[in-house]
Amino acid sequence: MQKIPKETHTAYNALVVGAGISGIRSALDLAQTGCRVLIIDKSPAMGGLLKQLDFQFPSNHCGMCRMLPLVHRDRGGQFCLRKGLFHENIDLILSAEISSLSGEPGNFTVKIHEKPTWVDPDRCVGCGLCETVCPETVPDCFNEGISTHKAIYLPVPHAIPNPYVIDLAACTRCGACADICPTDAVLLSGADRKNFTILVVDDELSIRDSLKEWLEEEGFSVDMAASGAEALEKLKAHPFHLMLTDIKMPEMSGTDLLHAAKAAYPDLCVVMMTAYATVETAVEAMKTGAEDYLIKPFEPETLLPMVIRLYQDLEAARDREITAETIILGTGTSFYDPADKKNIFGYGIFPNVVTNIEFERLISHSGPDGGNLTRLDNGRPVKKIAWIQCVGSRDIQNNADYCSTICCMAAVKEALLAKALGEEAIETVIFYMDMRAWGKSFQRYVDTAVHDHQVRFERCKIHSLTLDEATGDLVVRYISTAGTAAEETFDMVVLSVGQRPADKTQNLSRICDLPLTGQGFPETLPFAGSRTPRDGIFAAGSAAGLRDISESLILASAASREARRFIRPKGEDGGASPSTSTAASDTRQIYRDVSREPIALFVGICTCAGRFDQWVDQEALTRYFSLDPEIVKISFVHQVCTADGWASLSKDISESRANRVLIAACHPYVFLKKIRKLSQTLGLDPSLIDVVDIMTPVFQAQAQEKNQEQAQDQTNDGKNGGQMGDNLFSRISQGAAALKQADPTVPQDMPVFQNVLVIGAGIAGMNASLSIADAGFTVDLIETTDRLGGNLNWLDQTIDGLSLRDLMEETIAAAEKHPCISIHKEARLTSCEGTAGQFHSTIETGGKQKQVQNLEHGAVIVATGGHEAKTTSFGHGTHPSILTQKALETRLHKKEITEGQIDTVVMILCVDSRKEPRNYCSRVCCPTALKQARQLRELNPETSIYILYRDMMTVGFSETFFTRARNDNVTFMAYPPETPPAVNTENDTLTVTLTEPVLKRPVEISADLVVLATGIVPELPDELANVLGIQKDQDGFFQEAESKFRPLDAIKEGIFACGIAHSPRSAGEAADMGRAAAQRALSLISNPAYVPDITIASVRHSLCSLCERCIAACPYGARMFDLEHTRILVNPLMCQGCGACAAVCPNDASVLPALSARRMLGAVDAVFERITAG
Amino acid sequence: MANTLLLTVENQNPTLAIRNFLKSVLHDDTIQAILVPARQEGISTIMPCLIHDPALLDQADPLAPFFPLNAARLAARLSVKPVKGKMAFVLRPCEIRALVELEKLKQADLENCLLISMDCAGAYAAKAEIDSQDTIDIPDPNDAKLAPACRACEHFVPENADLIIGWFGVNPKEKIMIQAGTDAGMAILEKVARESGQSLSEAPSEREKTVAGILDLRMQFRDAMFAATRKAVDSHEKFTRYFERCINCYNCRVACPVCYCRECVFNTDVFDHEPFQYLQWARRKGAVKLPADTVFYHMTRLAHMSLSCMGCGQCSNACPNDIPVMELFRTTAFDVQNAFDYEPGRDRDEPLPLSVFREKEFTDVVGID
Repeated sequence: MQKIPKETHTAYNALVVGAGISGIRSALDLAQTGCRVLIIDKSPAMGGLLKQLDFQFPSNHCGMCRMLPLVHRDRGGQFCLRKGLFHENIDLILSAEISSLSGEPGNFTVKIHEKPTWVDPDRCVGCGLCETVCPETVPDCFNEGISTHKAIYLPVPHAIPNPYVIDLAACTRCGACADICPTDAVLLSGADRKNFTILVVDDELSIRDSLKEWLEEEGFSVDMAASGAEALEKLKAHPFHLMLTDIKMPEMSGTDLLHAAKAAYPDLCVVMMTAYATVETAVEAMKTGAEDYLIKPFEPETLLPMVIRLYQDLEAARDREITAETIILGTGTSFYDPADKKNIFGYGIFPNVVTNIEFERLISHSGPDGGNLTRLDNGRPVKKIAWIQCVGSRDIQNNADYCSTICCMAAVKEALLAKALGEEAIETVIFYMDMRAWGKSFQRYVDTAVHDHQVRFERCKIHSLTLDEATGDLVVRYISTAGTAAEETFDMVVLSVGQRPADKTQNLSRICDLPLTGQGFPETLPFAGSRTPRDGIFAAGSAAGLRDISESLILASAASREARRFIRPKGEDGGASPSTSTAASDTRQIYRDVSREPIALFVGICTCAGRFDQWVDQEALTRYFSLDPEIVKISFVHQVCTADGWASLSKDISESRANRVLIAACHPYVFLKKIRKLSQTLGLDPSLIDVVDIMTPVFQAQAQEKNQEQAQDQTNDGKNGGQMGDNLFSRISQGAAALKQADPTVPQDMPVFQNVLVIGAGIAGMNASLSIADAGFTVDLIETTDRLGGNLNWLDQTIDGLSLRDLMEETIAAAEKHPCISIHKEARLTSCEGTAGQFHSTIETGGKQKQVQNLEHGAVIVATGGHEAKTTSFGHGTHPSILTQKALETRLHKKEITEGQIDTVVMILCVDSRKEPRNYCSRVCCPTALKQARQLRELNPETSIYILYRDMMTVGFSETFFTRARNDNVTFMAYPPETPPAVNTENDTLTVTLTEPVLKRPVEISADLVVLATGIVPELPDELANVLGIQKDQDGFFQEAESKFRPLDAIKEGIFACGIAHSPRSAGEAADMGRAAAQRALSLISNPAYVPDITIASVRHSLCSLCERCIAACPYGARMFDLEHTRILVNPLMCQGCGACAAVCPNDASVLPALSARRMLGAVDAVFERITAG
Repeated sequence: MANTLLLTVENQNPTLAIRNFLKSVLHDDTIQAILVPARQEGISTIMPCLIHDPALLDQADPLAPFFPLNAARLAARLSVKPVKGKMAFVLRPCEIRALVELEKLKQADLENCLLISMDCAGAYAAKAEIDSQDTIDIPDPNDAKLAPACRACEHFVPENADLIIGWFGVNPKEKIMIQAGTDAGMAILEKVARESGQSLSEAPSEREKTVAGILDLRMQFRDAMFAATRKAVDSHEKFTRYFERCINCYNCRVACPVCYCRECVFNTDVFDHEPFQYLQWARRKGAVKLPADTVFYHMTRLAHMSLSCMGCGQCSNACPNDIPVMELFRTTAFDVQNAFDYEPGRDRDEPLPLSVFREKEFTDVVGID
């Protein structure tokens, strides 16, 4: 966490709520285009849900870091995103929520409520000494309560920096942590609680007394009242923070007291106390202003945490006010709690029944058992696991008439991870209704699980889950599709719990005046999944419901693009707008050029309030460093982390006239902002200022020693002392050696062509073009046909009956009249040379008379779309009444099918799909079948409709249309892929035969129409892919750089894709994806010149032998052989500074100047430096 | 397969027959010149010579057991850019293998040349002088006076040559064979056969047995050399001692045919230490041996070259202080090449292991599987 100093301005361009991947994506998008962003998250660590999930399919690895910016990397730390987020335009506040919102789009004022963690994150070095002395143990949220931690704990084990926090509800305030903390970071002090006043209202004296006693023991100030009237009097006399009141009291009831008190003192926090019988009254009271309720009789363990939570929320929390021009909600979702309500699966009762999130923790190396999958009752290895799908999803009783979208694939992944853990010996069974493998690579992933790893898929209804008392095993009874009952025993059962709106969505909705859907998710506009009905407030990722990682990131980028419209460009309003960050080119110029100066190194050492002297003799060290002619000054500072310490250090540095500065202190992250400021004051490039962490390892070693001490009760202090000193000294020497060799040359700017080429004018391409054009940049939109609109030319309406024609016409009109968009019809791209930021292309236009035009552009968006697949299966082409979904759509639109004309329709889904060679789900066909069924029923309510399917892919909220169709007596029959139905056209009558799945007997349906869902094939010609230098996947779709975390980017930097050229999707999703691709392109072209990052490779041509090994080694395609000048070129935008080229080059011709061999060798050599040598 | 032309040897001197054959190659319109080891007037050793005038091929002596330098680098230099027509290179098997490595490193282009090689008995150490202007007999491939590199060499039958001058399996005082290794070689061979009215036959049946016999002895020598070398360097101290006489003259690097850098990193600023640095080292250790970086230099060259080292032995030949450089390089190379299942010069299309990315590789070393 980067704590924001008070003097930092509180005006931001955008506020992002939620620091999960969607929030991070939106924030990075905006930060990269120069906006100042504040991210807040209610939890004490960032990363959202993914901080708990180690592995994502299909790679079964983590890949969050792939979201990091590939350009302008210097402005953000290149750290693992599960550990932390660093960007000079982004501030992050954790444990914080919005408490109020006012103002209007473009000028919101937001109050942010920040919960205290009781540990100063700037000072805590994460050494863990406190943990060794804390006497209290509580369940660990990170591991879903499966393991425990102390009352002072790390919220996640891996964050950087990773300050401890205190669970105040569990803390006894014994003070042990504060005493042992080496940096005085623990801010625990009970004195403040005296100022927190509580009024206890109850007609029973014994209750009043015991409450008073409990609360006063915790340090609070408590007063009592025996009746409502007395309470009101006391409230009048003296302000109270919290009132605890009984509901059933003679004369004035607690509810009446609540109303009266709230009317007079709106800020008063009230908690209702009630006997079990009146819980409903208490719940009712909460709707009229009570904060919470307690059911009598209660123990201190119930009361105190609640009061402490309220105390933290009310008193100890800091509120800060910020302004933001726009707000993005990346609040994610929460999960269904299976312990709620009926709890038919014994969750929380049978120890080996876990949720999917708990299971993810159990198989994690950072999990409660270090990733050893053992039974939670007896610790024996798990040998057989069941997954039960759709727990709390597709469940009308639970107000969840939707599919949670992610659980099928998550379960398959978890099964494969379990298989890998158990070296394939673990038996895994997934009990499901429909296997929703709806994404590009999903079906093949499922097939792999079945064929290569023997994961069993059991389509069934679960009857019950019981416990075998003797063995502790779990018994699952189920009814298979054939209608037979079966029973199976498992060691562990994983409940794939469905998604729910994020916690406190209602609260957020109230604060932000956001309408919610019936299921409690924020509402969004049709065809713009990121736009809420409230102007200036956007939804990113799964906040608006049910998205997997890649779709969340796509929507997050779409949200940032839409939000950007509310951010005024720099200087437009005479400076009232918060300063969008200055382009790096401006700041670069203020740094003085030190490349010709002799090296003059300043070494500043924090003595950590004298602790440093325990290990190292200051005088000896000074003497030693004085020998080095390149070290101009050594300065010792009492405490660099304090304001005084920093000021005195800054003064020493400026006086020294050094051109390189080394600060030896603690966590470098703490100093990021200070260093940026210092570099501006000194006019010294920040790459010439470095912080080396000397104290953390010392503290950590001490904590380790402490732990060992507890184990063995013996110390070896004296022996370690010398080592510790050497270690400290060696770290400083390494830092000095490295910094001396830092490359002071300023990289050359690279001009960027600030326009974008968009290929394909369907809904995705047009939205991409409009988004870029609206941001003020020019677009060349090329289309191979003579009309815009793509597939919208034949699509009529959406499943919810919205007109796609209107959408097409509006979008075309907007694109055609936009001054920044040049439309080229009947055009094709014939060549595209160059690299990101600088492409030179040629397009050919015109039907007969060809015209050639040259274009310069900085980025490319591929939106070439796709079309319905052709088929000859099921007799298509042999009978006029066997038609595809597209043909039916056209006939319906042209009103060729009229009322009462058709009695029986059979729809066959997954025609030639989800099997090789087209082994993917096209996503749109199942909803289209439901839509067309509805349209046909509208024409003739008596029409019999049979839908023959494999798995109904009504993911997300489209599930509700599936439910509706079943209620409307549409007949659904599943067919297994190995025995598909057959269509017979003999005697000119159409019959469809198939084996009825339940009866297992052949049935024959005479049909008037047979509708085939053939799915989508992409339209991305090889020729175009070759011209662009991009790759296609095995089905011909655009191959993204990484399917989860970089879904829009080609492997070749500067090229992005959207729409169905990328993957099958609906019109609305394609439009959002167009916006998202536009945002990605804008990150690249927003500045006229690209200032290369410091850590990029270059070539020393005089040494280069042109062996081209570096070209083969570069994973980013950033290198090319310049035939004209016979030399190797590096594109500074594409180079990611990974150093593979430098490693493969034998003679240092290919180098990363920032990490030169001299620098690294110098640092390695310094490891062996010993102060005694002086 | 009938790919062999048997030439009759006169005067028991196979070199004369080879010269005649080379003349007929040069006679071909496409071949502009032949690079071949030759005795030149006024020079007391044998050196590669690029011969355009067929008459001067009477000086060619490709079978002589002299190996003053590995000519792969010269051949690379001649091939790297296209010339009108082709050049033929007569090279030892190890030179061709080095040339294939250089092609992978983009320092040569074998499309532009015709490669001729010969069954190689091995050579004496470079400093031997020829004492007469006559050709000398082919040595016994197991002659103990041959250079250690040659005695440990298993690749004495050419690979990747268009044409092979062979004598294993025949008596070179009576017959010598010319074998086509590629289509290009076959075209030339057929033309020569046609012009001389001969027909092609299969390789003599004895050949395989002879080769196997030599290989057996070579492997014995090689394995003994590996064992002795491993023992000589099995600790850091011994490794340092191995190079104690090194004076950083870098001759081994210059002699190495695949050490291809335009400028060696040891000549660049990376090792251009500040005087203060030397002083610091002296302070730290009490004294610092100079020249510094000798062991580092050899380790770096091992790191850079052991995948491509084909064991020609020129490094040892070049060492003024008789450090057994080849022995260490071959021993290391053997293990490194086995680890990557790579053999330098085996296949022109086989990529250099360092240019190949595999997600799963050496899981025991990197600790990730």
